[in-house]
Amino acid sequence: MKISLNWLKDYVSIGISADKLAHKLTMAGLEVEKTFSVDGDTVFELEITPNRPDCLNMMGIAREISAILNKTKEFPQMRKLSFPNNRCNISIEDKAGCSRYIGTVMEDVHIEPTSVWIKKRLTSIGIRSINNIVDITNFCLMETGQPLHAFDYDKISGGKIIVRRAKKGEKIVTLDDEERELDPSILVIADEKRPIAIAGIMGGKETEVTVETKNILLESAHFNPILIRRAVRKLALSSDSSYRFERGVDYDTVEVGAQRALLLIRNNAKGTIIARSDVSSRRQKTTKPKIVISKDQINAYLGTDITASQSKNILKKLDFEVAAHKKDVLTVTPPPWRKDIKQDVDVVEEVARIIGYDNLPLRLPQIQVTQMLQSPTRAIKKNIYELFLAQGFDEVITYTMISQPLIEKSGQAELKGLKIRNPLTCDQEILRPSMLPSLLSILQTNINKGQKGLKIFEIGKVYEAKGEKETLAIMAVGQRDRDWRKLKQEELDFYDIKGALQQVLKRIGLKDAYFYGEDHSIFEEGKSATVGINNKEIGVMGEIKEDILSDWDIKIKKVYFAQVNLEEVFGHIKMEQKYHPLGEYPSVVRDISLAVKEEISFQQVQDIIFQTSSEILSTIEFKEQYLGDKITQGFRGIIFSLKYQSLERTLREEEVSIVHEKVCKALVNELGAEIR
Amino acid sequence: MSWNFEEINITVQKEIQEISDEIQLESFRIKYLGRKGLIADMYASLSSLSKEEKPLMGKNANILRNTITTFIEEKKKVFRAEQKKANRSFIDVTIPGMEHSVGHKHILTQTIEEMCDIFEKLGFVVQEGPEVETEFNNFTALNIPEDHPSRDGFDTFYLEQKDSNQKDQNLVLRSHTSPGQIRIMKEYKPPLAVVIPGKVYRPDAVDASHSFMFHQIEGLFVDTDVKFSDLKGIITVFLKKLFGRDLEMRYRPHFFPFTEPSAEVDIACYLCKGKGCSVCGRSGWLEIMGCGMVHPKVFEAVGYPKGKYSGLAFGLGVERITMLKYGIHDIRMFFENDMRFVRQF
Repeated sequence: MKISLNWLKDYVSIGISADKLAHKLTMAGLEVEKTFSVDGDTVFELEITPNRPDCLNMMGIAREISAILNKTKEFPQMRKLSFPNNRCNISIEDKAGCSRYIGTVMEDVHIEPTSVWIKKRLTSIGIRSINNIVDITNFCLMETGQPLHAFDYDKISGGKIIVRRAKKGEKIVTLDDEERELDPSILVIADEKRPIAIAGIMGGKETEVTVETKNILLESAHFNPILIRRAVRKLALSSDSSYRFERGVDYDTVEVGAQRALLLIRNNAKGTIIARSDVSSRRQKTTKPKIVISKDQINAYLGTDITASQSKNILKKLDFEVAAHKKDVLTVTPPPWRKDIKQDVDVVEEVARIIGYDNLPLRLPQIQVTQMLQSPTRAIKKNIYELFLAQGFDEVITYTMISQPLIEKSGQAELKGLKIRNPLTCDQEILRPSMLPSLLSILQTNINKGQKGLKIFEIGKVYEAKGEKETLAIMAVGQRDRDWRKLKQEELDFYDIKGALQQVLKRIGLKDAYFYGEDHSIFEEGKSATVGINNKEIGVMGEIKEDILSDWDIKIKKVYFAQVNLEEVFGHIKMEQKYHPLGEYPSVVRDISLAVKEEISFQQVQDIIFQTSSEILSTIEFKEQYLGDKITQGFRGIIFSLKYQSLERTLREEEVSIVHEKVCKALVNELGAEIR
Repeated sequence: MSWNFEEINITVQKEIQEISDEIQLESFRIKYLGRKGLIADMYASLSSLSKEEKPLMGKNANILRNTITTFIEEKKKVFRAEQKKANRSFIDVTIPGMEHSVGHKHILTQTIEEMCDIFEKLGFVVQEGPEVETEFNNFTALNIPEDHPSRDGFDTFYLEQKDSNQKDQNLVLRSHTSPGQIRIMKEYKPPLAVVIPGKVYRPDAVDASHSFMFHQIEGLFVDTDVKFSDLKGIITVFLKKLFGRDLEMRYRPHFFPFTEPSAEVDIACYLCKGKGCSVCGRSGWLEIMGCGMVHPKVFEAVGYPKGKYSGLAFGLGVERITMLKYGIHDIRMFFENDMRFVRQF
């Protein structure tokens, strides 16, 4: 909102520079966003918070200044007007939409250019002068905060004012010459035949006050802020009036604003009041809140040392009624326009902001140890971050809202994301049920920008009807770390991403996680695995289907992806760790070279080894796999070594041999393997 | 037989001068120190000398031998060094070393951690909350009235699905991290001090400074005697740790339904240092966070006894602070994840 410094000086003496005043207003919660000079005047652009509709006018700001600068203020005298007994024909049909309507008819007004001083005030804050009547309604709006509207009375059909909802299909041409279609959600002022104004927003062209106007009807009313707000949104039309109605106009100001305007019109445009009605659809509550607050309460809350009389003075300057019954206890009644003051803390804020927050003390409190513990998952997540970073994976953060077609494009049509009722665009219509589309879109963006490879991970959420799940996703594409000492660049493969994931799971305390071959819709057949822990599936990993990649227009063949449900991971982590004695006795390592049927997994081999060997077997290390000519068709060769070690003694060659023989025999007998 | 040591010395010195390689050095050694060399001759001839002559001769022969031995050793070192120099193989130390690749933590995660770490050191505990929230937690409990504009579909995303626990309760995507306060207070009794980082959502059309998804950090400290001065103390320490000790800042009254008094905190513009520029809209100040004293209505909503506790709360936007700190001008960069961007930090 714009305010003029010269205009303010009509009500309160300021006595400090415009810059200083701007700073003081800002520091009292009336933020001055811009300052500019207009024709010898200084104009501030203020941002008024929604709780302070009373500050959306000159008198409101003047009141604040009088408190901030501790000066007296003087508002225009409202001489009592005497009204004739004649009534206007006003009916409020929508009682919820309009709580009060004061209509006054004046005859024989002289439509002329406005007096210089009113014009000057208006133009300083950017309001165009039209004629004396219109300008006075605008002037009073800016001065008192009460929106007013003048109709050309002779153009009101039947001389009748009806406050009602618009009918479906009704139209009105507003003052800005636009034809607008109305509907029953919109409140209008109508005469016998048609809407003549959109209530609280803008008047109609047909009943506009022009140079030919002789008689006017002046409207001063109170409309429901929610109705006005919805209509503003629906019509994409707002005005100085609607701005104030949306935020709340005081019930009493309806009368004050009308009074002020009528006096000004009588002085500037002559005219005689011939009829007036003050129609209320609802009884105004008259009980005034009484808030009791002590000096000590204020100081305890702020950490200050403010006296009761200091507080009292501030509140009185803001037109609060303050009574001091007991020593240092104030009984406070806010003025009717301060609907935001409801309880003691609201009063504390008034005192604090007028003193200025920067003038209040500060201290660093002692924070007690609470019963609330650090969330354990945070530490685990931090660990996961560090482990992936250490393995060369970059972290990404992606949008969690995507489109359903993107899920389908990622080969996961069976997954349904949580639908947003009011999406901004269809690109963000659901909460993702999978991380795959998010990472594929990152891959796509980067490949398009010429990035050759990438290793990324994200810890984010996936969403389903039952709730949201913390999820880990990783993706790897392209070449391993470039090494100029090697002639050939090596491509990343399945085992790189498996290794990364495996290492992370192991290091965060999930030693028993295992991988087994299983096909999934998003992965190439035979090239994917399920990750499990204690018979529970916790994730999947594999090589993304080429079809999906080509649907995404990603011209790379081998893309590896893994997704792990971290909620499950958190549940299975063993937090406590124990020391294991270091083996002091020498170990014996024996290699085994085996030809096994292709479909036999290394896991099966290991299972048999552990079943048949004794406790002297300490570890199995995989060494090599070979396929090709040298090996019988349908078979593959694997080489691994077994490490035998005892914690109690040095093993004898013979006892190792006995166990090792047994293992080899079992592999041959049970798996049909061939020792090579 | 007697020896003219003076003369021998001159000869030796002369010969030394002429030695230029190891072969010459070896023949020199044989000539003097060899089994049949001059020194051996000298010692052999000692027996033929008189008692008086013997000591002097012996002494002179020893000196000569030591001189020659020392010389040979030194010369050998020189030759070896020369040899090494000649055979030296080069390492081009200017070729880049092999860096094992280490990933980059997303700058938003880094900022969140940096901020949470500061609060942790002050005694706060870090917790998280869900992004899909009830209307009650996101609005009602925070003293946001039924007809408040922020509840509009223009300002908050609503889910099609309703809350399964409570009939007809709408589910929203939290529009701020403040509902995290409600969850914590419903679950724990004071004293409590917690920060809650996380994603929040608002239906803002995406442009350089708006995003429908962004991150906030919420803070809450409740005890029996928390004061506005504590709020100022905590926020001041936090911002000075984040932006530097000399940071200038100010507390400006503002309005939030869930705090009273409420404040916005401004810091002196990093670019113009308070003089006024285009970044700070000529004001010299940048709005950085909102805060205030927990509104009694909020305590009421979580079922705390009336008047027993007071508390402070604050909230800040992670993207905004990150953008200010690193001079990033487009919020979309955070979520585009161009690797050239991600790897800068």
